Amino acid sequence: MTAVITALLPLLTQLADWVWLVPALPLLVAFIIGSRILLGHAGGDAAEPLTANLAALASLAGLLLLLAIDGTALWRGMPGHRQLGVWFASGNWQATVSVQLDGLALSVATLTALIGWLVVRFSTNYLHREAGFHRFIMLLCLFLAGIQLVLLAGNSLLAFVGWEMCGIASFLLIGYAWQRPIATGNALFAFVTNRGGDAGFLLALGFVAAWLGSFEWPALAAANPLSVADARLIALAFVLAALAKSAQLPFTPWITRALEGPTPSSAIFYGAVMVHAGAYLLLRLEPLLLQAPDVMLALVAMGSLTALYAWLCGLVQTDVKSALIFATIFQVALIFVEIGLGWTTLATAHLCLHAAWRTWQFLLAPSWLVVTRQRPAPPPAWLARNQLIYTAAQQHFWLDKLGQTLLVEPTEAFARDLRNLEEKFIDPAIGEPGHGQPIDVERPLILVDGLPGRLLAAAASVLQLLEDRLLLRSRGSAPERLLRRLGRYLQTLEYLLEQPRYLMMAVMATFVVIL
Amino acid sequence: MPRRQRLAHWIAHLAHILPAQAPIRDFVHHNTLHGFQHLPFPEALAAAHRLNGAATYWPESRFRECYASGRISRDDLLAAIAEAGLSELDQPVFHNLLQADVLLASLLAGDDIPGKNRLDWLMRESNLADEPVFAICRQLTAANRRTLPAPTGPDWRQTAPARWASLCQRVGKDWTLRSLLEHLSGEDVLERARRILQRQLAAHLDLGVAAWRNPARSRGFFAAWRASAELDMYWELDELPDVRDEIIHLPTDPLDVLHDELTRLLPDESLWQGYLECLSLELAGWSGMFLWRDRNPTHGDGTPVAMLDYLTVRVLLERLLCHDLMSRLCGAPMDADELGAYFAARPAEFFVRDALRRQGLPEALQNQATSLLHAAHATNEDDWAQLATAIADDLTENEAAARSWRLAGLSRELGLTANDLATVSHEQMIAFLDCATRLNTSQRGQIWLLAYERHYRQQLFTALTANHSRQARTPSPSAQVVFCMDDREEGTRRHLEEIAPSVTTFGAAGFFGVATYWQGLDDHEKTALCPIVVQPQHIVREQPTVAGATAFKHHTAHRQKRLRWRERLYQSTRRHAVGGPLLSTLAGGPALAALLAATVAPGWFGETTRRWRRNYDGEVPTQLVLTAESPAAATTESPQAGFTNDEQVDRVEAFLRSIGLTNDFAPLVLLLGHGSGSENNPHLSAYDCGACSGRHGGPNARIFAAMANRQPVRAALARRGLSIPPTTWFIAAEHNTGDDGIEWYDLQQIPQHWQAALDTLLGQLSEACRGHAAERCRRFASAPPQLSPWQARQHVIGRANDISQPRPELGHATNAAAFIGRRQMSRGLFLDRRVFLISYDPSSDESGNILEKILLAAGPVGAGIALEYYFSSVDNERFGCGSKITHNITGLFGVMEGVDSDLRTGLPWQMVEIHEPMRLLVVVEQTPEILTAIIVRQPPLQELINNAWIILAAKDPSTAAIEQYCPQRGWLPWSGDSVLPQVGRSADWFTGEREALAPALLLGAAR
Repeated sequence: MTAVITALLPLLTQLADWVWLVPALPLLVAFIIGSRILLGHAGGDAAEPLTANLAALASLAGLLLLLAIDGTALWRGMPGHRQLGVWFASGNWQATVSVQLDGLALSVATLTALIGWLVVRFSTNYLHREAGFHRFIMLLCLFLAGIQLVLLAGNSLLAFVGWEMCGIASFLLIGYAWQRPIATGNALFAFVTNRGGDAGFLLALGFVAAWLGSFEWPALAAANPLSVADARLIALAFVLAALAKSAQLPFTPWITRALEGPTPSSAIFYGAVMVHAGAYLLLRLEPLLLQAPDVMLALVAMGSLTALYAWLCGLVQTDVKSALIFATIFQVALIFVEIGLGWTTLATAHLCLHAAWRTWQFLLAPSWLVVTRQRPAPPPAWLARNQLIYTAAQQHFWLDKLGQTLLVEPTEAFARDLRNLEEKFIDPAIGEPGHGQPIDVERPLILVDGLPGRLLAAAASVLQLLEDRLLLRSRGSAPERLLRRLGRYLQTLEYLLEQPRYLMMAVMATFVVIL
Repeated sequence: MPRRQRLAHWIAHLAHILPAQAPIRDFVHHNTLHGFQHLPFPEALAAAHRLNGAATYWPESRFRECYASGRISRDDLLAAIAEAGLSELDQPVFHNLLQADVLLASLLAGDDIPGKNRLDWLMRESNLADEPVFAICRQLTAANRRTLPAPTGPDWRQTAPARWASLCQRVGKDWTLRSLLEHLSGEDVLERARRILQRQLAAHLDLGVAAWRNPARSRGFFAAWRASAELDMYWELDELPDVRDEIIHLPTDPLDVLHDELTRLLPDESLWQGYLECLSLELAGWSGMFLWRDRNPTHGDGTPVAMLDYLTVRVLLERLLCHDLMSRLCGAPMDADELGAYFAARPAEFFVRDALRRQGLPEALQNQATSLLHAAHATNEDDWAQLATAIADDLTENEAAARSWRLAGLSRELGLTANDLATVSHEQMIAFLDCATRLNTSQRGQIWLLAYERHYRQQLFTALTANHSRQARTPSPSAQVVFCMDDREEGTRRHLEEIAPSVTTFGAAGFFGVATYWQGLDDHEKTALCPIVVQPQHIVREQPTVAGATAFKHHTAHRQKRLRWRERLYQSTRRHAVGGPLLSTLAGGPALAALLAATVAPGWFGETTRRWRRNYDGEVPTQLVLTAESPAAATTESPQAGFTNDEQVDRVEAFLRSIGLTNDFAPLVLLLGHGSGSENNPHLSAYDCGACSGRHGGPNARIFAAMANRQPVRAALARRGLSIPPTTWFIAAEHNTGDDGIEWYDLQQIPQHWQAALDTLLGQLSEACRGHAAERCRRFASAPPQLSPWQARQHVIGRANDISQPRPELGHATNAAAFIGRRQMSRGLFLDRRVFLISYDPSSDESGNILEKILLAAGPVGAGIALEYYFSSVDNERFGCGSKITHNITGLFGVMEGVDSDLRTGLPWQMVEIHEPMRLLVVVEQTPEILTAIIVRQPPLQELINNAWIILAAKDPSTAAIEQYCPQRGWLPWSGDSVLPQVGRSADWFTGEREALAPALLLGAAR
């Protein structure tokens, strides 16, 4: 028995090095499902089990691996920050593939893996025979890969990659029912407003790269050389990203419009896991935040404001999913307040337990008729009588409409302008096939459109002129002899080049030029 | 007529066209097109199609699949063409081709006509161009392009004004101004209107989700909406700056507002009713729910709900938003008449807009049209005219391509060769094509439906004929089991009869003739357990027995505590600022554990939690408060508690005589109600007993058995010539159609004498349920093939308890026919759970009075179920409620898709996915004379039968003769073969099969 344990011991300690499988497996499965869809192998009842089993297997394997790592961590201590490889490097700074396996990461990642596996299992039954079955499972896998990357990443660059994968998966799942214009409109809205948060994240990455020269979390934590002002800027940029992802004010409207997808996606994205990603990011940055107390104060203020907003809006909601989403935002806002007050352990525990409860509640949203019997208690009378606040709460304080007017519509207008630019100027300049006009009345066969076309036509005219002059008019003259000699040289060169050794040399020369 | 009265009349008429679905807790099947029931079936469907554009038949492609798989034969189609009442069918078209042949060919060739571009592509990519028939068809149509009248015409200058006038004419008939503007501009103001309205509507109708209601709601919807709208900043944000002022200065009486707004919207008063109808249909779900609450004021929460308020706000928004759009569209504010003049003066622009919205333009033209539309103000008339000409040319070419395609398709179906076609003259070809296109979409659908129905009808008639000679009475049965008439119970009955040949079964509407209110031990309120049309006058309560009084106290205390905590958990975690976070952190761990268990072992988890719940609450022995001492003046509001002896005798006698159980009583008579249990399913009650208003029918069975066991009742029955021997005992149970389990009632009260017989029956019924579960599993894609009965039962238990399962069972998805007659008529037939079975003994009903009552009760219930499934299948988007997976419960009265959509009514796609939509075929074991007399007496039946909403047939009680009723031609004798496949038992026929199965004779079900 002891022999077996001693034999397994080195294996167990190395387990942490295999943690990259946790995001990699769902990603691989997403690719497999995606290629099955592209190759037309995803149709009919018979194709469903393979997709479902692959996804369930990948998420279960991730869960088991994480549980095993948890076990060894409890027994032999946290593996901590580990570098698994170098992604790319330039000069004295490098982007690495590293993981941060501490208590925070392992607990949240394990919970997420469990919820992920359960939701995959749930979706398999729930979406049976839906036209988008394979697409849904693929996006779910993509999301699971992304979120695990965020949770386990050892540096901010890798976390950003995961962050974006979650964003894309979320966008595509809000637009799951792409035939409904409301669903696609809301998907676009969520996408555009979330880019605000991405801008924050990118800015933070830029600051970190410039001032620290390393993206690693520990480097950020032990950022002694940083001045308070620099730390504040970095923290603020990250906070912006966190606010957008966790749908805190002023970004809240996107999540209230994101409930168009199937129930299980609403559960895992907006009820349970993704909505907490912002809070997780801040927990991860706790050492940095401690250097900028005023940012923490801002967090408390933002969190309190969001909590009030969500509480008021939640009171007037008449459909179950909206009511639940405001309840969720309310508690996520409280988690932000907790982080702002520096109670990170409480915040972590709150985050995990809240995510677990909301998964259950969202998945059971269709049971609302059965699980409740009476109307919840009304708010205090002074509030209940206030028509203005009531109207404002019902209209979500018009943030929704403001977001549309300030963010989405300008973006759409910009896209329209770009399109106009392309149609009016670039396309005519480049020219389109089939639109050619004759440039010369004498030669109606030559049709030309666009600038390159005209250039080509002009070049052709010049060459034709040359041909006229050189070859047709002056047979046997000096230029012709010169040309003949040139032709012979070229033939020799060609012969030589056809020899393998010279061919190889030519190829290598090409490479050298490219590199 | 005064304005108010006239409006009340219009609103009453809206009830005919809007969905009549009650709040979703009380889902009862009904004919989706109930308002059109006064019209013959095909005409009603055409009318509904005109009104809301819904498909009213299955898509032709589905029918053609059935044709390819042999579910529709050529004979069926020919018979259907003959039956559809078309003229000149036997006229020759050319040579010896008859019109009927051409129509048949056009049905088989399909109506999917490619445009010019696709045809070009097909010719490049396939060997279509080499096909001689197609080549000659192209020649024929190309050569004659000039001689053929083109429908759009090459000159748009003439057609466009006429088309514009015809579109304007539609406003107020089957279009609103919104539809017209959407057609012109592609912008749908309904989207905006719904966004503005939807939250307010839901808040006003809410039955228990929102904690905070509109402070002004007690003054009605119009006042509440206005109170909010006056404070709303939305108008400014949405670039409607003057709207707030307009709203502030509105009159207080909604009727005045409605009148003013309608006048500004549409000056012609005669169109107002039609306009209001079209407008209500645009948000049919919300309108229907509002109307339902208006008509049923007692079912709400006290908030006044008036349809007038709703229509006022709706019309006001329509006017505001349409006028806004018109001023953006035309560059200046204008009303509907000015809009008419505006586009009448711009035929080219209209033509381009019209062509773009009718789709089918090639991409290049479509792009050009779109960019012109974007810059409509800056476009001059010449640009429009140029594009219009290009589009008109393209349409002409498309038409020629369509003709050649159509001609080639027809020739292929008719087997015409290139040589045959070469001899065809121009006129003949025109006549040929005209004949092939003489049917519109509705008529084609109707013919396909007739053929489809006929095919199944032939199979059923053949089965009945084949079974006729095998009829025999079971001599002294060991038990008699009365099931609900439900099509799902056909399977259970068949398996029971196979397992226990000595048992006889009966079928009846599942309220067992006891229309009553019921209040169970734990129920807060009374619920009506009877068909939706009946108003019960009695109430039966369940009470603890004397010995169970203390147990009951314990039970109530524990149960209330448990429910309070559950309520707290679900409501506080979303509502409370302090308690919410605390409770949700406490509940997080258990919730995750529960989710894990429910995912890994749903069946085990469901049964375990139920057991825990029962152990915690404690069980209470109960009895029914059944007997009233003396009759009291009872109403629906204050019903009489219990039935008097005479009332009990009446009900027992009427029911037993109705099902024909008047002698040969077995020792045990079991009444088996049914209901369905499933998890996480808003449409739960759609799976329950339709004869009990979408509730469980167990209590009715229990009440009936208790009545029939009472000594005074039996004595009185004997005096009326219906003697139940003392050796007979009535028992009751409820069949859960979800997990195929059976809950027995009052078993401890059964005297010792019947214990042995009861044990046998218990065993037999359990085995039958397992066999039935195996039969059900064949239709579930997620069930492994060829499960043993035990495994199948475990599978359905898991399925019914699975929170992730949108198809806990398939409900009535297989319903197709109904038999009213003795069970001998159908015993021994495999009917694939497709037939409602209603017991009726024609030999003791010479006057037809019993049959009349059965038809009146079962006819509407059966037709309601069949037609709701029919319409939800043929157009799930419009008549059904779409897929369950994005559903979101709203206000505890309905479901939306996501958080912003119309309220969805009808059946979800998961319930009708495998349904084969056809009208209910009712076969009655009685002579045509008696049936005719009944139809003549009963207007409700005339409506159903003479308008062909159901199809009636009569099987002679003593011979095998079958006659089918045709509303136009009366009774038509049926003739056909009587040969059917024969198998030992049901399992031999269905094992390994996943699709619907034809009837078969079961040899093992001997009697």
